Amino acid sequence: MTEQTKTRRWDPLVKITHWGIAAVVLWNALIVGEGSAAHIYAGYVLAGLLALRLLWGVIGTRAARFSAFPPSPGRALAHIRAIRAGEREAHVSHNPLGALMAYAIWGTVGVIVASGIAMAGAPPAIEPGTSAAQLMYGEAGEHEGGEGEESEEGGGEAGEVFEEVHEVAVNLLYVLILLHIGGVAFETARSGRRTILAMLPGGK
Amino acid sequence: MSTHPPSDTNRGDLRISLVAAVVVLQAVGATFFIADAAIDLSAGEWGFHILTEVVIALALLTGVVLGAWQMRQMIEQARRDAVTLGLAQGAFAEIIAARFGRWGLTAAESEVALFALKGCETAEIAALRGVAEGTVRAQLTAIYTKAGVSSRHGLASLFLDDLIAGPVAGTGAGLKD
Repeated sequence: MTEQTKTRRWDPLVKITHWGIAAVVLWNALIVGEGSAAHIYAGYVLAGLLALRLLWGVIGTRAARFSAFPPSPGRALAHIRAIRAGEREAHVSHNPLGALMAYAIWGTVGVIVASGIAMAGAPPAIEPGTSAAQLMYGEAGEHEGGEGEESEEGGGEAGEVFEEVHEVAVNLLYVLILLHIGGVAFETARSGRRTILAMLPGGK
Repeated sequence: MSTHPPSDTNRGDLRISLVAAVVVLQAVGATFFIADAAIDLSAGEWGFHILTEVVIALALLTGVVLGAWQMRQMIEQARRDAVTLGLAQGAFAEIIAARFGRWGLTAAESEVALFALKGCETAEIAALRGVAEGTVRAQLTAIYTKAGVSSRHGLASLFLDDLIAGPVAGTGAGLKD
């Protein structure tokens, strides 16, 4: 019985926001075109998922709260030393390295969302009869006369800066995701399957 | 004694997951609405329309916060219940084992008595243990004699009495008496 409490899984809200953010990143990176209506809408979904996860970090379950995994380079270094020494401590929440990764990813996603919204503005209105292909691959707003003024506003020098920030942050996010997957693979090899099972459906 | 009531806990998990999904949808919906309201607010003049939007946005936000709060209560309650159930199951198993020991049941008799308590028929117990029905019947008679009861009902009621008499709070609860 006491064993069960130690191998606890993430709560459902952590799981849903985690996989939701992963799905949106894949969707916007691989499936829909840059600047398409589908891309902008997905970006707003991403904003909602991130905001909810951050809210959950304040009022959520114990393991999900920021207080359970404070960002601390000192503890991360201590954790690395523990790994080198072959020690295995149990962590209620993220291990100190995983905690740093979580904050890095959230910060990067925040920058991506903010620069994206700065470029795109409000979710574009979708006219009836717009094809799915147009939504997914067409430039949002290019067939809308009324929005012309606003997209010009987003253009110019400021627009270029936002675009640059957006692209750099997205590339940084890809690097972080690869590191994250590598970290999970390493921790799974080191401490067992429960690292990866904790984020999969089922269990408590 | 490691059997869990899977149907109940699974239903509880499913309910929590559904609430989580609704809270996520609410949060995404609120984000769209708040973004829309904020952009209207920055672009447009103040008016009844915008005031309404702001009020609705705040209401949505409050709904998300309260929904998340409610869900945390549900998750924590479910976890507390699981721990309590585990303690109770462990404690009750201890009570049973302690009683069997005090009555001087043999290992085989203890097993038969446990099956009997769990509601197995004599024929079922015989099949499970791979012995003749007559053997089980003889063992049951010996168990009743040692326990000082005359039937299976009497045996069961001895343990039921423990459950009704007082809460089974700690693991040591069954060792007194």
